[in-house]
Amino acid sequence: MKKHSNMKLIVLACGVIASTSLMAKDKYTVADPYESFNRKMYDFNESVDHYVASPIANGYKVVTPDFLQTGVFNFFNNLKNFNVVINDVLQAKFSQSASDMGRLTMNTTAGLGGFFDVAKHVGLEQNDEDFDQTFAVWGIPKGSYLVLPLLGPMTTRSAPASAFDAATNPASYASIPANYISAPVQFMSALNARANAEGALKFINEAAMDKYVFTRESFLQWRKNLESDGKVNMDDDLMADNVDDTSLTQNWRDYGKQFESTAQSFSGVARQFDQTVLTYEQANHKIAQVHQLRTK
Amino acid sequence: MRLKRLAILTLSLSSLYATSAFSQEESATARQIIDKFQTELIHVMKDGKKLGYAGRYEKLEPAVVNSHDLPKIARIVVGKEGEKLTEEQQKKLADVFTRISVASYAHNFKDFSGEEFIIDSEEETKNGGVVIHSHLTIPDDKPVKFDYMLKEKGASWRIINIIANGVSDLALKRSEYTAILQRDGFDALISQINEKIDNYAKQ
Repeated sequence: MKKHSNMKLIVLACGVIASTSLMAKDKYTVADPYESFNRKMYDFNESVDHYVASPIANGYKVVTPDFLQTGVFNFFNNLKNFNVVINDVLQAKFSQSASDMGRLTMNTTAGLGGFFDVAKHVGLEQNDEDFDQTFAVWGIPKGSYLVLPLLGPMTTRSAPASAFDAATNPASYASIPANYISAPVQFMSALNARANAEGALKFINEAAMDKYVFTRESFLQWRKNLESDGKVNMDDDLMADNVDDTSLTQNWRDYGKQFESTAQSFSGVARQFDQTVLTYEQANHKIAQVHQLRTK
Repeated sequence: MRLKRLAILTLSLSSLYATSAFSQEESATARQIIDKFQTELIHVMKDGKKLGYAGRYEKLEPAVVNSHDLPKIARIVVGKEGEKLTEEQQKKLADVFTRISVASYAHNFKDFSGEEFIIDSEEETKNGGVVIHSHLTIPDDKPVKFDYMLKEKGASWRIINIIANGVSDLALKRSEYTAILQRDGFDALISQINEKIDNYAKQ
């Protein structure tokens, strides 16, 4: 009996500790628990883009004729369609998978390896499917927002999903025939992606007042839109007269709940990240202490 | 005397016309509001280069003000933080918010290459709002979906939120504005909005 009540006390104590630790977290941690880490990574990626990627992409756009840029875009986009077809099937979108398979076959053959998007002219529209959307269809929660060095914005669900995407994209296997093909193909793939993101990045620079928040919010909404196949969220709580933060933060609370579930699904990854963030915080704390000692 | 009577009659008729035009405007349906606004946008885009930024701003200002509930949007985008603002600050925010809304339209809808707005359908929301689903066709490019969320205001309707390709402008602005208000304060927010307005005018 005593043993039993001791156990109860331990469980109660654990519960109290857990709830107080949750309450002690900053107000934005539910929304974006890794914001401090993510902002650092965002700044790092911006610097890399500013000093390396942007000048190369701009140079590429200047020296490459438009038709060739379109051809390169079509080529890599066509390769991506292997992944689209696989994910169509995994999401049980069989009719769409037939259409996307037709698109892939037509562009690979009549479109000369994908350089020309002939399928568009016969009404086979490009669909956008990937493993992150498949995971969403399977009920795996999105998790929290993450910004990774060089890879950019994602979530704790889309990080492993992008590894599957890479595995089902033929461009990832360019190294198999010969190593000297690999680097140029990967480089062109990255260059093409950066060159095509120019418009979106310019818009962010013009419109955003806090680029990190703007990118995070638009990325998460864009992914949600893809998951729902473009269905508009008809929830208009945000427009209510007595609108308060609870309605806005509903999405963030959902993310928080999803994070907990995702952390269970990908507990290893989540724990490692917690430790990384903790290490960052401890390092920052130590730096602050050293700075204080020096100023004294 | 006859001339005076004619003047009064003309005045009465014109006021009658103005009143009826006003009440027509006031009793417009959500779909009519969007249709009128999109038509005005396309007109401005067609004359965009000739008008220049200042001309587009001038033309779009009444169109934006009469179709959007800008004071309400300005309240929503600052959320709970808005309660901490003084009356003067709230007025200042509403003013700069109106200017940045018009400025961003004048900046982004500046030229025409055959674009067309098409209204697809309309739906009612659970809280009595209306969503107008539409898209913008762009030659040689993918169409852009524009979903307008409107709320009834008096006898008419006003846009509260625009969702472009799934991204809600209201949610985006609210995340940004509340983050800046919490971190840097009201003056910093106003100064950043003014900076954006100036940049739109320059480009």
